[in-house]
Amino acid sequence: MAKARKSRGESMLVRYLVLGGWAAVCLLPILWFLSIGFRPRTEVITPQPIYWPTFSLDAWHLLMSDWPIAQYLRNSVIAVAGSVVIDLVLAIPAAYALARYEFKGREDIGFYILSTRMMAPAIVAVPIFFLFKTLGLLDSVWALMLIYAAINLSLVTWIIRSYMLDIPKELEDAARTDGAGDLTILREIIVPACLPGIITAAVIAAIFAINEFLFTLLIASTSNAYTMSVALANFTGGSDGIIYNAIALVSFIAFVPILILVILIQKHLSRGLTMGAVKG
Amino acid sequence: MRTDAPSVSANGVATATPKPAPRRRSPALRKAFPYLLLAPALVYLLVITLYPGIFAIYQSLFVVKFLNWEWAGLGNYSSILQDREFWAALGNTALIGAISLSLQTGIALAIAYFAYRDPFIRGWRIVYLMPMLFMPSAVAFIWKLAFNDGRVISDLLGRLGLIEGNMDWLGSIPLARMTLIVADVWQWTPFLFIIFVAALQGQDQEIEEAARLDGASWPSIFWNISLPMMRPVIVVAITLRGIDITTMFTNVFVMTQGTPGGATETMSYFIYRQGFRMFNFGYASAASVLMLVLTVIIAQTVVKRAFHSGKK
Repeated sequence: MAKARKSRGESMLVRYLVLGGWAAVCLLPILWFLSIGFRPRTEVITPQPIYWPTFSLDAWHLLMSDWPIAQYLRNSVIAVAGSVVIDLVLAIPAAYALARYEFKGREDIGFYILSTRMMAPAIVAVPIFFLFKTLGLLDSVWALMLIYAAINLSLVTWIIRSYMLDIPKELEDAARTDGAGDLTILREIIVPACLPGIITAAVIAAIFAINEFLFTLLIASTSNAYTMSVALANFTGGSDGIIYNAIALVSFIAFVPILILVILIQKHLSRGLTMGAVKG
Repeated sequence: MRTDAPSVSANGVATATPKPAPRRRSPALRKAFPYLLLAPALVYLLVITLYPGIFAIYQSLFVVKFLNWEWAGLGNYSSILQDREFWAALGNTALIGAISLSLQTGIALAIAYFAYRDPFIRGWRIVYLMPMLFMPSAVAFIWKLAFNDGRVISDLLGRLGLIEGNMDWLGSIPLARMTLIVADVWQWTPFLFIIFVAALQGQDQEIEEAARLDGASWPSIFWNISLPMMRPVIVVAITLRGIDITTMFTNVFVMTQGTPGGATETMSYFIYRQGFRMFNFGYASAASVLMLVLTVIIAQTVVKRAFHSGKK
């Protein structure tokens, strides 16, 4: 008994060392980067790193004066929100078909949709670049919207499908005997019943869209289409070098809303990230 | 409607066949209905995957110099297969990816093992999630500053007495690769952790309790009971993460640009460099096609199996 208690005590110590240690690994770089955002530029790159900098809003003033941050933010929001809407419109009926109907080729179609997620962006980068060039859509937020929608469509479809599978069939059968058609059932019963899944899918799709880098880098060439993600990389080059304090500040401007969204869907996150394969 | 529901549901369960819809609808339409629901999504995906695939195959048969396309047959492929940079990129992607994925899996399993029974699990989860919620380009800059430009890592290691002076992290092949791995592990271990913890929490607690009463220790319960039970979940999670790691681009673009001597160039960066820095579009397309073939093979074998086991 005493031995058991002792080993338990030890394991508590080990447990909190491991958990606390990893928490430090996660948080310290973030806190340090936050301090970068609020220090003068002269204290960013120094022969000896400065851990207790002077507080300064230099980066903020730079962002407000020299950098069309409102424009980049607007581009991000339009492209991301638009892509999520496209995804939901396309994915909800598709997910319904995959979840509720028996038909030839269902497994293969489902797997094809899933497999588009595995395509490395670089594989399609060159053709997509030429496609949008032909369409005259280079350097446009609309092109980004279409691309983001395509990247996330598989994920959104699979997440929603997984939640639809959980809805008891009896709900639909009742409505069907009441004379409701398939589309009415989808709209009035299925969609409300799997709303948590739809929201989860939308949030995860939005995060991936905000993060997208390669396509945005190729398609956007001016502030017409620069998003937050790629505009960050725009602080490099030039005679000024990399303006780290502004980069840090922008990172946190994007981080806060994402953190809030994720906390809202926390319970569904694992299911969403595995496209429904793991029920959390 | 609500009052009707119980009797109908009993009926529905007993017969288990869907009732014929009261709406009159031709049999042909009924049969086509699921396809009609799927059509918009499928058309969209086909345009965005099939078209680029065909375009890439076509373009890979030409030497493209700006507007001038010169027929090359399989020339691009034969030069790529002899291109040491291509093989190096493939090798780098596999090596960096394998090390990074193993580290992430190990760390995520370890912290999930300690965290899932902890009373403060909700707090830990939010803290551990945070690195994943930064834009990848931001994370790349964090580590570029920490390793190279800001010399913070050198300074900290120096204070611990582990090294002396400034390390040139981009000056040696293993160190440069390590900086990419650190950035990837830091940002993406949360992805696996979140999934592992959910799987552990979703397990039947009674089995653990029973084993506990039999005097089994937590490590042995984890090793002999929990881990085998969550195997399908681990497979799915690692597969998804593995796929993403093989597409690593942003970190390379921001942190190393492939230096030193191409030792950190990944497949994605190779294609980008050939296409958009050197404007060898035909060559880049040929590389894309080869990578696509690899992807399809992996998708058809590993991923299909992973998701089937995941469903069960």
